[in-house]
Amino acid sequence: MKNDKLKIGIYELTGCAGDALLILDCEKELIDIFKAVDIQSFLMAKSDNIDGELDIALVEGSVTTEREIEELKDIRERAKTVVAIGLCASVGGIQARFLDPKEWEENFKKVYGDIKMTHTKPVQSKPIDAYVKVDYYLPGCPIGKEQFLNFFTRILKGNPPEKSQNPVCVTCKYNENDCLLKRGILCLGPLTADGCGSVCINHNLPCVGCWGPLDTGNRTAEYYLLKEKGFDVEYIKKKMANYSGTKIVEFFDQIKKEIR
Amino acid sequence: MKKISIDHLARVEGNGGISATIDGNVVTDVKFTIYEGPRLVERLTVGRTPEEDVSIAPRICAICSLSHKTAAVRAMENALSVEIPPKAYILRKLAHMGEMIESHSLHIYFLALPDYLGFPNAIAMASKFEFEVKIALEMKNYANHIMKTISGRYIHGENPVIGGFGKFPSKEELLWIKNRAIQFMPFVLKTVNLFCEIDYPDCPEDDTIYACCEPGKKKYGFWGDEIILSTGEKIYRDDYQKLTNEFVVPHSYAKHSRYNGKPYSVGALARVNNLGERLDGESGNMYKKYFNTRWKRNPLFNNAAQALEILYCFERIPLLVDELLKFPEDPPIVEYSAKKGKGTGLAEAPRGLLIHHYEISEGLVSHTDIITPTAQNAEDIERYCHIAAQKLLDESREDKIRDRMDLVVRAFDPCISCSAHMAEVKKAPEDNWKDKLDDLKEKGDPILVGVGKRILSDDAAGIELALELRKRGKKDVWLESDIEDNEDIWKNEVNRPLIFLDAVDFREKPGKITLLPLSYILCNTTLSHRLLPIITTQMNHKHLRNAYVLGIQPESIEEGEKISQPVRQAITKVLKMLIS
Repeated sequence: MKNDKLKIGIYELTGCAGDALLILDCEKELIDIFKAVDIQSFLMAKSDNIDGELDIALVEGSVTTEREIEELKDIRERAKTVVAIGLCASVGGIQARFLDPKEWEENFKKVYGDIKMTHTKPVQSKPIDAYVKVDYYLPGCPIGKEQFLNFFTRILKGNPPEKSQNPVCVTCKYNENDCLLKRGILCLGPLTADGCGSVCINHNLPCVGCWGPLDTGNRTAEYYLLKEKGFDVEYIKKKMANYSGTKIVEFFDQIKKEIR
Repeated sequence: MKKISIDHLARVEGNGGISATIDGNVVTDVKFTIYEGPRLVERLTVGRTPEEDVSIAPRICAICSLSHKTAAVRAMENALSVEIPPKAYILRKLAHMGEMIESHSLHIYFLALPDYLGFPNAIAMASKFEFEVKIALEMKNYANHIMKTISGRYIHGENPVIGGFGKFPSKEELLWIKNRAIQFMPFVLKTVNLFCEIDYPDCPEDDTIYACCEPGKKKYGFWGDEIILSTGEKIYRDDYQKLTNEFVVPHSYAKHSRYNGKPYSVGALARVNNLGERLDGESGNMYKKYFNTRWKRNPLFNNAAQALEILYCFERIPLLVDELLKFPEDPPIVEYSAKKGKGTGLAEAPRGLLIHHYEISEGLVSHTDIITPTAQNAEDIERYCHIAAQKLLDESREDKIRDRMDLVVRAFDPCISCSAHMAEVKKAPEDNWKDKLDDLKEKGDPILVGVGKRILSDDAAGIELALELRKRGKKDVWLESDIEDNEDIWKNEVNRPLIFLDAVDFREKPGKITLLPLSYILCNTTLSHRLLPIITTQMNHKHLRNAYVLGIQPESIEEGEKISQPVRQAITKVLKMLIS
């Protein structure tokens, strides 16, 4: 019998494994997912894994060792489509924040001392598109269930959804929340990709930006607004940097250019 | 030399491996390697506000994210003198129950059980055990629902904050959680029967030290301000370093821990061993029915302990909901003004004791220390794998080593993101000892100690070697008689490797030379040593980590003064290497 199911591989690089775990958290759909496609590799869920040709590779985590660079390149060679799942794969995650190589090295030393690692050499944390071409991105820290199932069913039909063009604020308005910025609370909703359901604001808490940066977010406007509200410039920058990974460089460049 | 390795441990959370190297009849090297790259999370929080920290730090791990959140907020609250209202306290406990059930049910049903039933994964298992798999998925879903209701999301929910919660769940949501818990009870009881009645292999078995939080008030639980050890000792939260003593190993990005130089274990099995007597209700009955002395020595029983804890959680949930409903008003987040402080927070993650420690100055985090359960278990994971591998090798069941190591590692429920896929068996090349000796010399000029009895023929090899070395002008060569009752010599020279020269029976060809860490000899039941235990009580943790045995296989240790030909030749080889 010919097996015409799509061949899928789910891979974890360095991160919290939350995106892979979220897939296992689709309890009601899990058996159907395993029946609908041919899962060739998914280390967290199964031991009979095969490294062969793939239709779709879902990759979570950022690249932080030389071994991972090799592993990622191998995945890219084997897969027709590569999808970055989660914040770490998409922008490098929280661990991509030490942008300056010297700063990264110093911090590495502070944690591990002078020890020479024998198993694999560490590298500065980067998103996967720093090394290979990525076809689609699924943001979030971690990805959300509805978002994943929506994406997954559409990609199976060869019709993957485009990246969110809305900030968290759009859903937040639908949820009839009070704007926290108006109340003088530092909320990153306007700069953050939609998809979480504005969960933090629903809980009376400000958005920390964990769904990752929205490409079209108006950073300069938010910067001015927050400054006006009396926030310290350094604090604003730190807040924006926490979940922006390596992207923060372009954002700061943009703000600098637009600053009057 | 042969190496058995599992490069990518499957059905664990994260990316790691385990390997065992076999040199003849001896397992010389077991390494638990974590390939997950370094994320430097502790450094990422420095310079951030306490609120930013409790958002960033739990991102260390998805499956223990709520335990990380709990440990982080408790540490911050201790540092900043924040007292939370009782309703917030009880709600955090309820959320924690959700994480325990979610993680334990994922581990026992989906990661561990396929091994015992002979399936590659749980979905394949569903073809035969559809009912069990479906209900287990329902149970996991329910637990996730608890976490979502309370923390805001399945993973990395932001609702628990320093000083309380952004928003409390409604009475209806809480009652739903309570009623559903009661509905699950019959399946939960079956789960305990299933996992406590599995015929766990008797290898590996050995004593260890168990550590967990002391919940106080003679109760079972997952929080505390003290750590309790199976030795009966207690350690206050701020003194956690007395237990952990973290150190970096070159083969892993997860640090390792030892207590007084000895590996220790954390996790469900540690909690049941230390606190199980305190269980009451159905979980108390099940504890009395199933607990026995094997649980104290065999890490594979961790699966049974996890099932027992699932039951404990299901019994506690309705009670916690009732307590919560006594507080109709939702307390606001407690504000604080402190800009400076130092604090430690302890919480039991599903896979064991988790410690967060922070120092705050001028309103920002100035120092962060996070000690994860898998980092603490790493040494015992290696030790138990070594015991299992050596025993199987002794029984000529080398082909079973790989699967058994896989089983042992998985039983610890390692959460490798915490800092690991997993088993490898290697055979050492001939003259492997030469390379190892060269590596040791790079660490520092070794101190050599001759051990043995001259009147027992080949047992004189170590003494003979030492005397010959001295004669040729080699410095820092001692005899066993020099170091007995001489504790002063242990005060210095901790950074240089210490090599015991001795005749060791590896059941090999006479004259075979093997170099291996002292700790392997100590936990190897097949090798006998009179002197080494005396020495090792004098040695401290640093010495022990840096001590090795260069053993020569004797032909005979009968009474007599003649050294056999093969051992003579070996002595000459070693002399050449040590002099050069």
